[in-house]
Amino acid sequence: MIPTDFLFSQQKVTSNLFNIEVQKKANHYKSHTNFFQSALFFIEEEWDSTLVYSAKYINTSVHDTAIQNYAHYFRGYSFKEKRMFDQAEKEFSLISPKFEFSFLVKKRLGVIALEKSEFRKAITYLEPLTKLEEGQYAYINKSSVFQNLGLCYLHIKEFKNAELYLIEYAKLQEKQKDTLKLIDAYGSIANLYYEQYKDDLAIPYFKKAYQLSTNTKNFETKELTSLNMAVVEENRKDFARALKYRKEYEKWKDSLNDQNKIYEVAQIEKEFAVKQKQQEVNLLEAENKAKIQERNSLLYSVITLIILLGVTFYFYKEKIKTNKIVLAQKERLDALNATKDKLFSIVSHDLRSSVNALKTSNSNLLDNLESKNLNALESALQSNSAIVNGAYSLLDNLLHWALLQTKQSYFQIEKVRLFFIVEQVAFNFMPLMKEKGLTFKNSVLKTEKVFADQESLKIILRNLLDNAIKFSKTEDSISIYIESSKLGYCDLIVEDSGLGMSKSKLEELLKDTSELAKKEHEDIIGTGLGLQLCKTYIAKNNGRFSIESTLGKGTKMIVSLPKTIKNG
Amino acid sequence: MDKVNVLIVEDTASESDALIKALEANNYNIVGVARTFKDALQLFHSTAADIIVIDIFLNGNPEGIAFAETINLAPNASKPFVFLTSSTDRKIFERAKLTQPFSFLMKPFNELEILYALEMAVEKFYEQQDVFLGDEEDTVISEDYLFIKKGKSLKKVYTKDIIYIEVEEKYCNVITEHEKFVILISLTKILKLLNDTVFCRTHRNFIVNTDKIEEIILADNLIILSGKHQATLSDTYKDILKRVRTLK
Repeated sequence: MIPTDFLFSQQKVTSNLFNIEVQKKANHYKSHTNFFQSALFFIEEEWDSTLVYSAKYINTSVHDTAIQNYAHYFRGYSFKEKRMFDQAEKEFSLISPKFEFSFLVKKRLGVIALEKSEFRKAITYLEPLTKLEEGQYAYINKSSVFQNLGLCYLHIKEFKNAELYLIEYAKLQEKQKDTLKLIDAYGSIANLYYEQYKDDLAIPYFKKAYQLSTNTKNFETKELTSLNMAVVEENRKDFARALKYRKEYEKWKDSLNDQNKIYEVAQIEKEFAVKQKQQEVNLLEAENKAKIQERNSLLYSVITLIILLGVTFYFYKEKIKTNKIVLAQKERLDALNATKDKLFSIVSHDLRSSVNALKTSNSNLLDNLESKNLNALESALQSNSAIVNGAYSLLDNLLHWALLQTKQSYFQIEKVRLFFIVEQVAFNFMPLMKEKGLTFKNSVLKTEKVFADQESLKIILRNLLDNAIKFSKTEDSISIYIESSKLGYCDLIVEDSGLGMSKSKLEELLKDTSELAKKEHEDIIGTGLGLQLCKTYIAKNNGRFSIESTLGKGTKMIVSLPKTIKNG
Repeated sequence: MDKVNVLIVEDTASESDALIKALEANNYNIVGVARTFKDALQLFHSTAADIIVIDIFLNGNPEGIAFAETINLAPNASKPFVFLTSSTDRKIFERAKLTQPFSFLMKPFNELEILYALEMAVEKFYEQQDVFLGDEEDTVISEDYLFIKKGKSLKKVYTKDIIYIEVEEKYCNVITEHEKFVILISLTKILKLLNDTVFCRTHRNFIVNTDKIEEIILADNLIILSGKHQATLSDTYKDILKRVRTLK
């Protein structure tokens, strides 16, 4: 009657705590990859992998004694689990006694010795473990130590010690209320006494064990305890009882077998059910896959549709936009075309009247030449040249207007000396002004400089001066001068003391349109083209244009030009 | 003072005639009128033109620009020039602009415009801007000549003819073999621009043509120049002695 499972330990509980420690260590030494790996496999109870990685770690040159002990421990434990006890013992022996968990090592060594039936050796390992500090028992099951020690002593027939440890073991189990282990403890004690032929002491324990076993559902325990009782009763020659216990034993044995059979059947059924479930699961999975595919394709088509819609909408909008632009352009073009037609009619009308005047004047000239009237000849020639000058300036403006429209003209904003430009432009008007009896004064300073395109500035000045002369009477005066206006700008003013104009006319002139102004003074040639040209060129030179006028008193034409280059 | 020589490159006779009339009325000397690119090149080398007026279009092609490009390449012979054109075609102008320094005259032009364009060309070419157009100065200095504005036109003086220059505040009295006149230019500028191997400062107010020195009387601090002119030599500028070959 030898106790059945003598290796009883609550490794699960205790090793969990130890695993937490291992995890901490592993995280701390993450840089030692092999150690880290072996620790992880140790926790996952992958013994082979643990052995491989710990061996790798130990074989590397860089060693840290703190974790080397762990590595050896992993190896020893792994060997033990693989039941290679000699190897395990060797690994455990390599751990230095300073290892913080050296008591665990002793425990493992004790268990190994027990496994190898080296009971005395086991006792030397296990005995010190009975006197550990309370905290350390968190890592070791104390009762298993007592149990193992008791069993060792029992095996070497040192009953006194065995009794001591086993009773301690039973006491611990009573405290922990683990019925199965308690039964085991009682069984062990009973066996202990029975071996010594102390039947009186043994029987109560057998009975206790038996009684406890009736409350359990473990058939093996029931079987064992009833068999023990049967043997005891048989030895006491109480055959009736022995028979009863024997029958009970048989019953439990059968039930155990039945249970096993039932268990097997259940197992098969379970497997079958699992298979069926698996099939269902597979089916569902396949269905799911199909569904996902369907959903995805639906999603894609929806996205494509939305994109298509977006693109269509975008192009539709773009089309509307371009249509709008085209429409606006068409309107502008129409307006411009109308202006151009008007311009043509005015210009050709003016030119025709000029040429006509020239024609009559020429025939007069011929008449006078025949009659040798030299005085009349001179005045006729002078009037001819005036007509030609007017026609020329009209054509000149027409040319520049055309160049402006096609944007082919050279245009270069540079530093320009205003005085000289005014002088040069005025030079051409000198004979005309003299003839009309006008006084002219250029009081621009020689040092005055602005940034403008020289040629367009000349055109602007030519037109302003032409206007001033046109709208002046005999004895009037024209002067050109500078007034510094706003910061960075210079006002060039062409002032005449001529006819002047009404407010409404002035506003009409300054209106920002491409339309040409109507004529007010019918007797004076003018198309409004000149002023239009001025406005456009001034704007192109980054300047501003304004007019101040009083009807009957005169007009001030003001051109503001920048003194510095715009945009650097 | 001499008249400034102008070479005209213009294919239309009436245009060149008008130009000649305007220029001669303002005391310019016309050294020649070229009708073609080839003529122009030949005249350029055979006459000593000071300024050239170039019509961009010769016989319908922009050969005027080609001519300007050619004379710009001539080593030590390039001269100031003015483009003459009736078109403001941008492409032509962009090309013409590359012939730096660039100045142009639009047809039709009046007398003032041509004179202004010539002065601008000289200023730009010798890189002495705002001389003729302001009130402060009236002389542009090239290596060989002083170009001086007299009234509406330009005159020139051969620098080799200058005996000495006497500075008087903002004015400079220039004394040559035959005449004596005043120009408006600052002392610093004249010193910077005159050839310093020939002209030398001998006194705070005197700049002397070393080729014209006849005698140096150290005792009296006097320099006797050709034509019996005298200039003062002050202690600060006695370095001049090292530069004059002295007989021992």
